Amino acid sequence: MTKYYAICDCDNCYVSCERVFRPDLERKPVVVLSNNDGCVVARSKEAKLMGVKAGTPYYQLKQLFPDTHIEVFSSNYELYGELTGRVMAIIRDMAPQCFRYSIDEAFAILEGIDGEQLQQWGRDLHDRVWRSVGIPVSIGISTTKTLAKVASHFAKKYPGYDHCCLIDNDEKRIKALGLYDVGEVWGIGRRYAEKLERIGVSTALDFAGHKVEWVRMMFKNIVIERTWNELNGIDCVPDDLPARKKSICTSRSFDGMVGDFDTLRTHIANFAVRSAEKLRKQQSVAQVVGVFIDSNHFREDLMQYGNMADKTLLTPTSSTIDIVMAATDCLRSIYREGIMFKRAGVLLMGVVPQGAVQPDMFSYDANRHGRMTRMDSAVDHLNRVGGTETVILSSQQYPGGKKFADAIRHDHKSPCPTTRWSDIMVLK
Amino acid sequence: MSKIKLLRGEFDSRLKLQLAPGIKAGFPSPAEDYLHDSLDFNRDLIKNPEATFYARISGDSMVEAGICDGDIAVIDRSLQANDGDVIVAYVNEEFTMKYLDTTHLAEGYIELRPANAAYSPIRIDNLDDFRIWGVVVWTIKQWKR
Repeated sequence: MTKYYAICDCDNCYVSCERVFRPDLERKPVVVLSNNDGCVVARSKEAKLMGVKAGTPYYQLKQLFPDTHIEVFSSNYELYGELTGRVMAIIRDMAPQCFRYSIDEAFAILEGIDGEQLQQWGRDLHDRVWRSVGIPVSIGISTTKTLAKVASHFAKKYPGYDHCCLIDNDEKRIKALGLYDVGEVWGIGRRYAEKLERIGVSTALDFAGHKVEWVRMMFKNIVIERTWNELNGIDCVPDDLPARKKSICTSRSFDGMVGDFDTLRTHIANFAVRSAEKLRKQQSVAQVVGVFIDSNHFREDLMQYGNMADKTLLTPTSSTIDIVMAATDCLRSIYREGIMFKRAGVLLMGVVPQGAVQPDMFSYDANRHGRMTRMDSAVDHLNRVGGTETVILSSQQYPGGKKFADAIRHDHKSPCPTTRWSDIMVLK
Repeated sequence: MSKIKLLRGEFDSRLKLQLAPGIKAGFPSPAEDYLHDSLDFNRDLIKNPEATFYARISGDSMVEAGICDGDIAVIDRSLQANDGDVIVAYVNEEFTMKYLDTTHLAEGYIELRPANAAYSPIRIDNLDDFRIWGVVVWTIKQWKR
């Protein structure tokens, strides 16, 4: 029996989540903005058809589309996380085996399901998720994960597939790949897509039709060769692929611009705390802490400057205090007075599982490490139970005692009816 | 500055010792053969957790059904709404909770019936634009404040 993969993902995920509690927004153009209301990160089908592009800065939206009302939301990850968690629970219940791949998509391994049943499985999944959560999902099914991704594209594009597209023979495979841009193929980055275009490879079929020796000679890259295999029906992307993230980044564009060191340091401290929390959540530690800062490229009248610094820790850690101190050191080494900064971030690299750490022989202090770990888990607990930022470091506090959550802009944020009693729906 | 002593910070694990029949130390409890999981509202009343949402009642349109202002409704989106069910519908840009009356479905309309003589039923003629959001399975009322 052939082994089939299904990629199940939420259509226009963030927009669909917002619509669950706003049924009036169905069939209307809706966009969701990035953190701090910077630019468009999610668009409804209607917004896409109008020509709203991903990444459009929020302030340009009104200028570009003066005649149509577009419903705008600040991103509400609390809501998206909870609702997609429900979707994942249903997939887990229906699939013999599955793993989450990102906030809005999961791969299911459909062993023991075959033939006619495959497409029915996908449609049943769609119906159950739609009925239970109110979010539309699309399902692409094929013999490799990369081909399942291709199938998913067609499931979304053509309503005739009824939310589930199956590529289960060579005829369908060739037809689908012929209609699919090589740059859209899962695993082919923009850089390789440009190279492929230059040498006359424009569809996925053009690429898959070359000999493997040609692929090896042209790219000398194992990932590209793997993708070639997958497009030709040879299953080779491992199942445990969404392993721990190898790097963790927390960054923001500022509401205005930031020039003074203390405010910038407070932002960096907050980014570092967030990153350390993400790190602990996946039971990992990081070896390298990096900081980047950048001026406003849209303001050509101002002096431009951007830089990045990183610091390697002797022993990998997930301790909030150690990571904040390292990040602050990095910032100090690259900060320049007189520059108006627009964007900054903290990047944790060399991320490995907690258990796989080799402590530095000379500097490692087991007692201190134990105290830090206990403190971090107590703080994590308090922030989980009491709400984000119940306990913060003094270096995280902005002038006037403001906390990070209040310092970032989210003017159009929707309520959180599934995670806060104060926000639950009201029935008249 | 006063000293702060941190006692313990490991909160992630939950133990249910009561359900560990494999562990036998000391004198066997006479109740051992009768061990049963505790009653749990989440488990016993919520049949479809992925489809369950909560809402607060505002107003008195269902007061004669015993549903009052401030009560909490437990809604299951996945259930099929039948005639006579208390449902949640989205009407005129508002969520509303009413009895579903499908008596006149064959004539092309349905009614949302309040449980309060002071209110009149809402007649839904355009069924294409109308969607039932969920079915109310429980309401919770707080007595002791």
